Amino acid sequence: MAATVQPDRILRELSELWVSLGEAHGDESAGVLRACAMTLVVLASAAEDENAIGETLGALMRDHPSRAIVVRVSDNAEPGLDARVFAQCWMPLGQRRQICCEQIEISASNGSLADVPAVVLPLVAADLPVIVWSRLPRLFSSSALKDLSRIATKTILDSSAFADPPAALQALAHAATSGLLLADLAWTRLTRWRELIAQIFENPAYFSRILSIRTVTIAHTAAVSQVSLDYMEAWLRLCLERAGAQPAFLREPSDEACSSGFCRIAFTSGVSGGLDIVVRKVEGSAVEVRAGTLVNRTVFPQASDYALLREELSITGHDPIYEAVLGRAAEAGMKQ
Amino acid sequence: MVFWTNMTVENPFQDPLRFERRMPECTVVIFGANGDLTKRKLLPALYRLMYERRLAPGFAVIGVSRTPMSDEQFREKMHESVKKFLEDSPFDEDVWAGFSQGLFYVPGDVHDAGSFNRLAERLIEIEEARKTGGNVLFYLSTQPSQYAITAKGIGAAGMARGNGWRRIIIEKPFGRDLDSARALSRDVHEVFPESELYRIDHYLGKETVQNILAFRWGNGIFEPLWNRRYVNHVQITAAESIGVEGRGAYYQEAGALRDMIQNHLLQVMATVAMEPSGVFEPDAVRDERAKLLRSIRIMKPEEVGSNAVAGQYGPARIGGADVPGFRQEPGVGPDSRTDTYAAATFFVENWRWAGVPFYIRTGKHLPKRVSEITIQFNPAPHFMFGQNGGEASPNLLILRIQPEEGISLKFSSKQPGAGMKLRPVSMDFNYGASFGERSPSAYETLLLDAILGDATLYSRQDMVEASWSVVKPVMDAWSEAKFDFPNYAAGTWGPKASDEMLARRGHAWTNV
Repeated sequence: MAATVQPDRILRELSELWVSLGEAHGDESAGVLRACAMTLVVLASAAEDENAIGETLGALMRDHPSRAIVVRVSDNAEPGLDARVFAQCWMPLGQRRQICCEQIEISASNGSLADVPAVVLPLVAADLPVIVWSRLPRLFSSSALKDLSRIATKTILDSSAFADPPAALQALAHAATSGLLLADLAWTRLTRWRELIAQIFENPAYFSRILSIRTVTIAHTAAVSQVSLDYMEAWLRLCLERAGAQPAFLREPSDEACSSGFCRIAFTSGVSGGLDIVVRKVEGSAVEVRAGTLVNRTVFPQASDYALLREELSITGHDPIYEAVLGRAAEAGMKQ
Repeated sequence: MVFWTNMTVENPFQDPLRFERRMPECTVVIFGANGDLTKRKLLPALYRLMYERRLAPGFAVIGVSRTPMSDEQFREKMHESVKKFLEDSPFDEDVWAGFSQGLFYVPGDVHDAGSFNRLAERLIEIEEARKTGGNVLFYLSTQPSQYAITAKGIGAAGMARGNGWRRIIIEKPFGRDLDSARALSRDVHEVFPESELYRIDHYLGKETVQNILAFRWGNGIFEPLWNRRYVNHVQITAAESIGVEGRGAYYQEAGALRDMIQNHLLQVMATVAMEPSGVFEPDAVRDERAKLLRSIRIMKPEEVGSNAVAGQYGPARIGGADVPGFRQEPGVGPDSRTDTYAAATFFVENWRWAGVPFYIRTGKHLPKRVSEITIQFNPAPHFMFGQNGGEASPNLLILRIQPEEGISLKFSSKQPGAGMKLRPVSMDFNYGASFGERSPSAYETLLLDAILGDATLYSRQDMVEASWSVVKPVMDAWSEAKFDFPNYAAGTWGPKASDEMLARRGHAWTNV
């Protein structure tokens, strides 16, 4: 691997790439269409499956066409940097013209990590948002990620893989209060549960009895991350407090029929005429809502990297609810 | 700590940045539940909304029609229909299991007061069991001739008022002419106020039609060009490649002018040409749409001949198969004078559009199924590239409604290489490709809006009346005219007179 790369050369190669794509589809009525709504910088391990990341990015391009800069970091301590450019293209159904997005792959050794931000900076697409998605937990406190976050509109992490969850939450909360726009996929994974719970309380018949809730039980498998549990509890507490309720919270390790994550969230009043609601995973991706005698079922779509990223990329400004929950979860962690 | 202080406090669990729009619990009562529209469109759309987690857990549907059926039989029937007619979506038995628990059926005849009383009792039972809060949306998917009697039956059984909101949706046609449209409104208003009456026009629910508003008013660069100074003319095409497909008897009474132009296409034209409203709220947007419809110049009887063209398809051989003419279709009289093709030139009398022709055409058995709006801009005032520079082609902005929803802008570009030769190039935005997510169907959008009480995409009485006023002179002239039908072969782009109508102003239909 070479020790240096020149951003100018990469940009030249990008221009040549578009010329060659155009030539490959010489028919003037066909050709390729270039699409770019943002720069997406992905930090991943060199050991990660290249195809899996490529598939996620390829799927994302349809919703959020972007210039993708994938930085693949190896464990090698020796300096080493390399880069290549290529295009992700797709042909919309029934159309003659391909839509293409450009992708830059930078291979960096651990020893050259500090050089990466200076390489990335000139490569970002002008006047468009820059999103940094770090898939490497160990980079969380690195100067490279800090430098990249400074040029980023938003930084996306996944704290569920962090070694010390309470410390991670506090660091995230600190970064958020210092103005950094953050997203945590451990939080994004809760959206479908949260949405379903919110929908239940849309019904005035249930919401009007919210003060009768005495206990909230969160049943979960061992596979659920500590951070996700903290987020869920913090969110529920904040919402219920805002409605005037202050129930007790129970976390219940469970071996119920749910493959991973949360198994059941139950709101219990324990009194006749009070509100008793259970939302629980049943077989497959199905989820059952039991509110009094009314039972209903819905399905949670798979929380793939693609689905999580698509949700986060559609929010480019501050997310006040996440920031409040992060603050509360970090605060609760400090007290423990 | 500041905790989402700018968010609504009604339901603190809501997260508007991430969750879909809130849906209140309600019951949808469908009259004509055994009909085609219910099977093909309404139930698939409601199931899809449930699949997307947009419906509240206590959501319920009551089907009403004359056919005797139990709840269970209705569920089984709808199970088959939804599986069959669900477009671009997976069918999930688990979701269906939950959804079908909220399906109920009441056999009844709209001419029988007892049927309405039974429905009222069932509605109360379901309201209690499913905690719907008394919210009810009545959907009339019946013959238009039954709208008034159904609305009155609802009122007489006390169902037009209740614990929650009560709304009613009616399908087009909203009358057969201006007088009958007024009479229909009068009858329905005896029971439901105009604010609770939703006249559905599924064209307005299409993503691209809504996107016209976003395109015009979400961007700063197009609106300054959106006027008589820069726009040469506008074309609106809604072509069907199929014939009347067994609906000959109905279509014979309607015709292309009534079936398409009076409602869908004039609404589309209004969306293209209306002024921006101060706020994006139902009545503000509809006020502007209505104002535009009222600004369309009403043709004088003597102008109809040169500004409107009627056509009827004749037999042809397409793709090796014989296609019958309209008069040979089942249920159609051998000397039918119904227009299966209609084209018209309209002018808008206001400062923005004075003198700009709006050409509208629609027809059955045209070469392909396509709906689009083409805005042709004036050419550059001086073409400086000489004869060798190629032809100056007009800038076209094409808003495609179906089948591929999207927007294209055609402009001239230099051909690569020596010399200065221009060629037209197209810059395309494909809705499906650019946003990978499946677009909701028009019925999903419109049902959701009605349940949420958002009437932006629904027609209002003044809009309906203005539209009938616009087409009235054409209808009157055509009712007296002697047409030499059929005047176009199935599979062609309509009668020659339609091309001539544009040619008289130096224009031609664009190649769609």
